[in-house]
Amino acid sequence: MHGTVAKGNIRQDDGEFVLRPTPHQNPVLAKVLGGFATLTAGLDYAARGVTGFNFYSSRGQLEHVLPYRELRTRAIATARKLLTTGLKRGERVAIVAETSPDFMAVFFGCQYAGLVPCPMPYSMYIGGKDAYVSRIAGMLKTARARAVILSSDLASHIGEAARIAETTIVKTFGELQAQPESIEKLRPFDVDDVAYIQYSSGSTSSPKGVLITQKAIVANTRGILRDGLKITNDDRAFSWLPLYHDMGLVGFCLSPMMGQVTVDYLSTTSFARRPALWLKLMSENRNTIAYSPSFGFDLAARRINGEAATLDLTAWRVAGIGGDMVRADVLNLFSEKMSVARFDSKAFTPSYGMAESTLAITFADLSKPVKIDVVDRLHYKLAQKAVPASEELRQSPEKVRSFVVCGRPIAGHEIVVRDDNGKDLGERDIGHILFKGPSLMAGYFENVEATQAIMTADGYMDTGDMGYWLDGEIVITGRAKDLILHNGRNIWPQDIEWAAERIEPLRSGDAAAFAVEGPDGDDDVVVLIQCRVMEGAEMEELRRKVAAVVHQTAGVECEVVLVAPKSLPFTSSGKLSRAGAKDGYLTGEIAEISPVARVPHRPSGEARLHAAE
Amino acid sequence: MSAGEDTFTVLCQLLEPFNTAKIALKPGTDISADLNIDSVSVMDFVMEVEDHFNIDIPLNVLSETRSIADLVKVVDGRLVKG
Repeated sequence: MHGTVAKGNIRQDDGEFVLRPTPHQNPVLAKVLGGFATLTAGLDYAARGVTGFNFYSSRGQLEHVLPYRELRTRAIATARKLLTTGLKRGERVAIVAETSPDFMAVFFGCQYAGLVPCPMPYSMYIGGKDAYVSRIAGMLKTARARAVILSSDLASHIGEAARIAETTIVKTFGELQAQPESIEKLRPFDVDDVAYIQYSSGSTSSPKGVLITQKAIVANTRGILRDGLKITNDDRAFSWLPLYHDMGLVGFCLSPMMGQVTVDYLSTTSFARRPALWLKLMSENRNTIAYSPSFGFDLAARRINGEAATLDLTAWRVAGIGGDMVRADVLNLFSEKMSVARFDSKAFTPSYGMAESTLAITFADLSKPVKIDVVDRLHYKLAQKAVPASEELRQSPEKVRSFVVCGRPIAGHEIVVRDDNGKDLGERDIGHILFKGPSLMAGYFENVEATQAIMTADGYMDTGDMGYWLDGEIVITGRAKDLILHNGRNIWPQDIEWAAERIEPLRSGDAAAFAVEGPDGDDDVVVLIQCRVMEGAEMEELRRKVAAVVHQTAGVECEVVLVAPKSLPFTSSGKLSRAGAKDGYLTGEIAEISPVARVPHRPSGEARLHAAE
Repeated sequence: MSAGEDTFTVLCQLLEPFNTAKIALKPGTDISADLNIDSVSVMDFVMEVEDHFNIDIPLNVLSETRSIADLVKVVDGRLVKG
């Protein structure tokens, strides 16, 4: 009977096969929480049990069951097929990372064949084909990908990108399946080899591939399983996170596999369409672990409506939050709405990490409620000190700032907080967050310059984030870079500007994109455009085109402000000063020039603060 | 859907809640540009369309859809296919 359950197929009386998901635990095989020498060693072990991956459709039906045993069999066959396409050891294979068994088979197939997989995004916006094609082409080019594997529905999109990037081998999952199998002895990646390239970092205009080694993925998955999540035999994970992102790939594919944990998947697009399905499936399957950026909790809480009462979320012990600034108001809303489903708000687990550290760096204590530090806003802005706000100050929300405490580093990893001159800072001094440890990437793939730019002489990597220490735990306050955070995604202002500047009659240097804090604490995107057309209808047409291209490129709603020519500030070295542009906008020095434009700007928290200063 | 019912009219009705700026909807209206709705809301709208017509609209098709007229073609095409 166990054999049939593991395969996922059960024959009913009427002869129809019904799928059954893989079980929570292995009845015989002992649980080993990572520490295997390589990814293939981890899969070889997991394949001795009956746990694995389950894939749900956009309407919540179980569609595919892929026990680790079957994944290993498929991966080895795929490895042999990849080798007959002419690929040589160490070459890069781009794979469009849809949430599917096909993606998993090729990713792990590369591990057995000694090829470097590069998961590619599967995300497009309405009308956004061109933006998608140029994004993929940039990634294929910087990875010098020899092959790209895709699903047949993307043939025209990816085919175009492959032509631009001169990637010669382009195959659908089906075409790869039809390849003959090589009979040579497989040489999987070994302990000292690389593992994969992750593209969560860098703008579309100059993408950077994060090169992760076997040692780094082994160290990070072990830290996640043992120190961070403290996995037990009863755990079962759930994920709708994209597999081309570090949180989806490392957190909810590679880590569970290295710990023989079963995962139930809903694709990201299915989640975006029906966020409530996430919670319904978790209730049905009694999942214990799921992660999301704040916005995902927000979306699900708003969309569940009356159905919350029918759910049972008592099994959920780790509701991890990562990928964006953790928002306390969102967590409160979620707890409130899900209390009827008996969701325990102590399950919320803020954590911190990034693709450059494979994934995880810190986890908050699992057994404790989310800790929030409320500080004096003026000290924070002006003196870079996190001074606890007095009771009196807390009465005026605009005078305080709340930050979520993100926990301690996983074992063997170290964080320091430094000032602009590289001096280590102590408790409550805000500075740059640097990181060191075995999970650190090998570097940006074939980009020594970018790698050196973030590494210090003493072996730390500058994360680009700002924060401070509080009782041995790290608190993240924001980004030193110009990065825009929207719904858990990193948006590079360069991408928005670059796209806008290709619209006639705009030229390079005519656009400045940045985020202002909206009334809800989330980033609102503002794009300033130097406008040389003076006729009302033409101006509105330009505004419309810029909004459209921003939407197609980044999938965000933005406020397009037409400003006078030569009003955008530049640094002495001739670079656009986004900080200067933002200041000018908030103070009203750089303002809309169209007389017919509505004045849409609502005073944000930041604008109010500026006024107060 | 009855035979005479116009896909364009139905799409306009489904779009109305997302049309916060109350722009007059025409076949040529660019869904992302003219209505300026963010990606999450677009997915909401697409879900409404899928549920109403009981069809699936994959991402790659969506990425080549700009105007309401484009979407009418997509919906009608998928309805014929069943």
